[in-house]
Amino acid sequence: MKRGFVAALVVAFVGLALYPTVATGYGIRFMLQLFMWVALAQSWNLISGLTGYVSFGHVAFFGTGAYAAGILVTTHGWHWGPASLVGGVAAVTLALIIGYPCLRLKGPYFAISMLGLNEVMRVLVSYFEGLTGGGSGLSFPAQPVSVQIYYAMALSALAVTGAAYFIITSRFGLRFMTIREDEVAAEAMGIDTARYKLYAFLLSAFVPGVVGGLSARDTGYIEPISVFPLIITITMIVMALFGGKGTIWGPVLGAATLFVFQELVWARFIYLHQFLFGAIIVVVVLLMPRGILGILQQRYHLPRTI
Amino acid sequence: MNVVITPAMVGQVVISGLLAGALYSMVALGLALIFGVMRVINIAHGTILMLGAYTTFWSFQLLGVNPYLSLLVSMPLMFLLGVLLQRAFVRRVVDAPELSSLLLTFGISIALVNMAQLAFTSDLRSVEFLTGAFLLGPFAFSKSRVVSFAFAVFLTLFAFWFLQKTRLGKAIRATSQSREVAMVCGINVQRIHLYSFGIASALAGAGGSLVAVMVAIQPEMGQVYTFKSFLVIVLGGAGNYPGALLGGMLLGLVEQLSSLFLTTQVSEAVAYVLLVLVLLLRPTGLFGGRST
Amino acid sequence: MQAGLILEVSDVTKRFGGVTAVNRCSLSLTPGKIYGLIGPNGSGKTTLFNCITGLERRDQGEVRFKGERIDGLKPYQVARRGIGRTFQIIRIFPELTALENLLVVTQGPFEAARRRAEELLRFVTLDRLRNEYAGNLSYGQQKLLEFVRVLMTDPELILLDEPAAGVNPTLLNELLAAITQLRDQGKTILIVEHDMKVVMGLCETVFVLDYGEKIAEGPPGVIQTDERVIEAYFGR
Repeated sequence: MKRGFVAALVVAFVGLALYPTVATGYGIRFMLQLFMWVALAQSWNLISGLTGYVSFGHVAFFGTGAYAAGILVTTHGWHWGPASLVGGVAAVTLALIIGYPCLRLKGPYFAISMLGLNEVMRVLVSYFEGLTGGGSGLSFPAQPVSVQIYYAMALSALAVTGAAYFIITSRFGLRFMTIREDEVAAEAMGIDTARYKLYAFLLSAFVPGVVGGLSARDTGYIEPISVFPLIITITMIVMALFGGKGTIWGPVLGAATLFVFQELVWARFIYLHQFLFGAIIVVVVLLMPRGILGILQQRYHLPRTI
Repeated sequence: MNVVITPAMVGQVVISGLLAGALYSMVALGLALIFGVMRVINIAHGTILMLGAYTTFWSFQLLGVNPYLSLLVSMPLMFLLGVLLQRAFVRRVVDAPELSSLLLTFGISIALVNMAQLAFTSDLRSVEFLTGAFLLGPFAFSKSRVVSFAFAVFLTLFAFWFLQKTRLGKAIRATSQSREVAMVCGINVQRIHLYSFGIASALAGAGGSLVAVMVAIQPEMGQVYTFKSFLVIVLGGAGNYPGALLGGMLLGLVEQLSSLFLTTQVSEAVAYVLLVLVLLLRPTGLFGGRST
Repeated sequence: MQAGLILEVSDVTKRFGGVTAVNRCSLSLTPGKIYGLIGPNGSGKTTLFNCITGLERRDQGEVRFKGERIDGLKPYQVARRGIGRTFQIIRIFPELTALENLLVVTQGPFEAARRRAEELLRFVTLDRLRNEYAGNLSYGQQKLLEFVRVLMTDPELILLDEPAAGVNPTLLNELLAAITQLRDQGKTILIVEHDMKVVMGLCETVFVLDYGEKIAEGPPGVIQTDERVIEAYFGR
């Protein structure tokens, strides 16, 4: 069973690696965005699925990365690759600044404190016009780099999923989970929960920052409202939930399924887009909060490593 | 900034702040009720305010109803909507972790906003009713702000009277302090949840009706009011209803004062920093609330 | 401060708003004995535990462990110094397996930790349930799991909060035997208990709290007949 799974994985990797040679421009961008959502959902999973600290401002890291990379590329002529990595570092810096105080807050208060973060970043970015182009945004010089971004996004999704695998199957990851299970007991057992929460938070901010930079290069243009909207946070959350938060493959499954669904179905119902999305959120929250893999895990007593 | 700031300007700004604050207090009281009684974080609160604003707009536009009179329509209507939402959806996440209630109410919110967009279009609407200002010495206050203030104060005081003196009000307060004890005392907690959500929505709807005369109405207008209501609750302390009152006034003041020295955009960021600071230093609120 | 004391609680006071939960409480534990902490409900026993382990900050007084002050330390720091505790209401990690519950509290080399975990699971005959989610275990099994989890880090001082609560007689005997064994290995144990048979049978010295104050201290036989203790339990 395990052998078959690994074989399927290898086939999938090879297929995805060769995909750009046969796909259309649209196809490549489709998959590139799919990888992006996988990376985002998985990153959210690292903090919220594992430690139970629900981050409602995660798009702030995406946007910060986008702007950090954007400024380096447009103003200083950097290549988008290293610029995106710096975007990741910028996102981690933000996570450190905001996480250190806010992770001390309990449940609902942490959620509320994160809720306004994306708005503040949006406002700050608009304010420092000289640096960021303010409301007019930043434009990237035109470059046909879709295929390269495709591979970069795929690598990002792979990296964070790999990180999830190593974390969840290690004692390190178990400690994250004790925070979710019973933080007081974890402390009483000698686990420095404050430090682990911060680790999880920082880890969860890096890839969104990188992916923000890549996405900025891909679309060629960023403005405050497009990279800091609450809906991006909500989307990555619903994707992780749908597939199953706290698992390794859950966010991958959720992101892939919902993204495909979104592209294929909702484009037809463009005026009902938000309504349908809202309906999906309601359904997932009320009927399947554990997500697909979560339900399967419980029903068939599967190991955590799925 | 090279503007000279006179005492008159400060005075004007302080009073403007208080006028706006009463509105924030009223709307935030609704959110506080929902959080206090059900531990639910209602992101759709501002959306209900938006629907109240549209109710007032259409009553005015189609039937020529006095906007302030339309409170008699928007409040019961939003009360019913609140009861409906609670019965159908929210009651299922009452004891769930905050992720569920946040996501659920967000989902409801965007669905409602989308429906408003379809039904009303995203065109900006306004209710031209009370224009001009009252002049009092060196101060000028827009008439609509003053009247809205008056109604907000009245409704808020009425709400407090209701919570303090009526049986239902006391039951609501009891339930928000301890659900188990309330149940043991024979209080029908399910029904309290329904009424609380309904009353909270009525207050939000009233807020919408009152701002309809002052601001541009569009389907996404509610978001900023939700955020501000959260801020008020954090300032005032969760579960502390009088605290929400003071918190609203404080927010109004801080907002107006900072707009003297900073652009309005940055004053929003100021509001957020205030939120985080209060959460960190006095998580139970400036006026003493309960921790979860 | 006396040499050789493993725990010294001096004049500790803890208030919650207007209520004084612990009032100038002092007690000293010498190593290698089993102590009992009893008192009517609400007398401050669990609060005292919390003050010792750092879960609550005491308002006044000192707590010294092996001569060093530990009041003011964070709970995880207290735990790492060598103090373990269980809780009144079982606090295992439900979505971790029994084995993982034990592994996660360790710091050192993984293999050694795993061997010790397996050993402890065998000790309480939970080894066949090692891969079962702790949340699926029965109450008694969870109780045992919490008990051996405390032992994973080999603490010198073990605080047990109502270990006998809700436990059937057979299991209770196992637990008591285990506790005695721990004492024989040189560990110090402080037990909060309501079950007087357990306290009288197991403890060498008993402290009695009432309204947050220590009202008596001594061997079980003496405590049983102490007037103040009887008054505290049965009223004035």
